[in-house]
Amino acid sequence: MAAEYALSNIWIGVGVVVILFAIFYYVGWWASRKTTSEEDFYAAGFSIGPVTNGLGMAATWASLATFLGVIALIQKLQVPFVYLWIQWAISIPLLTLLYGTSLRRMKAFTPATFIRARYGKPSTIIIVCWMMLIMVMYALGQMIGLGQAFELLFGVPYSTGLVVAGLATVGFITMGGMYGASYNAAFQMIVMTLAMVVPMGAIMKAMGSSGWWFPPLAYGDMVPSMLEKIPTFFDMKYDLRWYFALIPAFTLGPVALPHLAMRVFTSSSVKSARWAVVWFTIFLGLLFSGTYVAGFAGNFFEAVTGKAIAKPDQTLLILNVFYNPTLVAAFVMGGALAAGLSTIGGNLMAIAGLVGNDLLGILAPDMEKRKKIRWGYVALGLGGVAAILLAFQPPKFLVTSILWAFGLLATTATPAILLGVWWKEANKLAMIISSTICGVLYIVISPHVLPGIVVGKGLAAALGMSGGMVTVPLSFAMFILLSLAFNRMSALAAYAPSLEDKKVIDRIHGWGDEYDETRYNGTVWPIAVAVVCLLVFWWGLQPWS
Amino acid sequence: MKEKLYKKEIWLTIVFTVLLMLTGHSATLFVLFPGLQQGTMWGFPIQYILPIVLGWFGLALVCWVMAVVCNRFDDEMEALAEQEKKNRVTVKTA
Repeated sequence: MAAEYALSNIWIGVGVVVILFAIFYYVGWWASRKTTSEEDFYAAGFSIGPVTNGLGMAATWASLATFLGVIALIQKLQVPFVYLWIQWAISIPLLTLLYGTSLRRMKAFTPATFIRARYGKPSTIIIVCWMMLIMVMYALGQMIGLGQAFELLFGVPYSTGLVVAGLATVGFITMGGMYGASYNAAFQMIVMTLAMVVPMGAIMKAMGSSGWWFPPLAYGDMVPSMLEKIPTFFDMKYDLRWYFALIPAFTLGPVALPHLAMRVFTSSSVKSARWAVVWFTIFLGLLFSGTYVAGFAGNFFEAVTGKAIAKPDQTLLILNVFYNPTLVAAFVMGGALAAGLSTIGGNLMAIAGLVGNDLLGILAPDMEKRKKIRWGYVALGLGGVAAILLAFQPPKFLVTSILWAFGLLATTATPAILLGVWWKEANKLAMIISSTICGVLYIVISPHVLPGIVVGKGLAAALGMSGGMVTVPLSFAMFILLSLAFNRMSALAAYAPSLEDKKVIDRIHGWGDEYDETRYNGTVWPIAVAVVCLLVFWWGLQPWS
Repeated sequence: MKEKLYKKEIWLTIVFTVLLMLTGHSATLFVLFPGLQQGTMWGFPIQYILPIVLGWFGLALVCWVMAVVCNRFDDEMEALAEQEKKNRVTVKTA
């Protein structure tokens, strides 16, 4: 791959990467000494404080795309893509509010732990399979990015970069378990924020902005020049439905991402989880605002200098090479690596939890705890190796778009979790049917598998926004209506929620052993939700412009 | 008391869900009401900078209020659970 970006002194890049990995390995080694139980391995002993966890949450959410892909997409789509990115910040607050604290109360390791307690084993296998598919897609995307980053940084072939970066990454994550992933993620968030924001100040100063002292929000004086060169930059461009379609796919999807939920579960208490969310919003807001200014500066650079950036993925790096010293440019690359590594850490821990705890808990329920931890390590390592192997010649379907996968998760897992936590009538068979049918439907109507059968057009279809606007509300409505019907059929009594299933709901909401059948058990509100969902489903089916 | 706490939990969840959605999706309001796309703030068009600010500081403020209010609610729930436990012990002893 011919790079527009190249460090003038490659050894400075090597030095930055070696120092960062040395720190990650030290944290992994230190964490491995603290890991003695399943709670330690999967949930860092439920001990992470609010500030560390807030940093860890932000790092886990901010992937390599924050440094590479999103800046390119801002250059392509301009302001609408900024709006798309902004709404992602509400995912962890929303999941914490809607189910995170409830599941933390039951000391779940992953959302599937709750699915098993609430719906039983067959439903858990379905949800675990969907979540695994999405985690593999996610980790694969990051691995490909890591391989490309090493290729870019050191000029080595992609496959060499992939193996070296991939194995080095899987090594320290496997060593440290969730303790290591948490503390490393907190450190990585500091590195990536500094790498994003501080060099941008120097770039803005060089571009003539008086707001260089606070890059995230003080570049307003560049707006007139920008409008002169690109008058449409701030146009909203799309219609109301495009913006509404962000909700089903991109707001409700990440709500069920297991690696984000697991960050909430590592909190030292339910109250600490809520404070962690406050820190998360502050840290992530700073980083994301840095991304927006980088996207703005990339457009500004092209408009003012007349130089075209052929590979917009490399915009941030090109700007740094153009305006900043080599050491700073290498540090920015280190920040991008940190962003990828923190997300891979979360993905691999989720895979380990889903396989080592949730699946193994079904397949071998009587296994000794010590053996289970060992299997957890094996699942974590194998998940990483599988992602590396897939990244050599990635199946097109799997790398099409991580963003597209969010709609799949919103369709298959979000209704199961939210209705399971908030509605006692949620039926096991209804969950399996709605999740499976709507999940398959989402894949079918996307342009990536069967291009002849597509709902929507262009970007909205490619990112799963139009598909999600059809299948997410359909999944909710189908789940609710089928639950109401199945619970009233004596032939399907085995699938109706048992008293023990219902007690789980009261317990995780904090009622202890005090059970009340009438709580979380209405029919009017769920029917109203189903009607609204069907209206949204109908809206989504109308022709897209 | 239990009924009151239950209703409070439901209302807190609905209100904070709506507030979170508003902070994350404020850009939609500018499409819904194009007349709002007028004026500037800190040199930026309002429809650009306001969603960014709301998605950062607005969200942080909502989450701060959410932490305070929901943590207080948890205290009330814990007090109720404690009281119920004591009542059960008293009944058993009697």
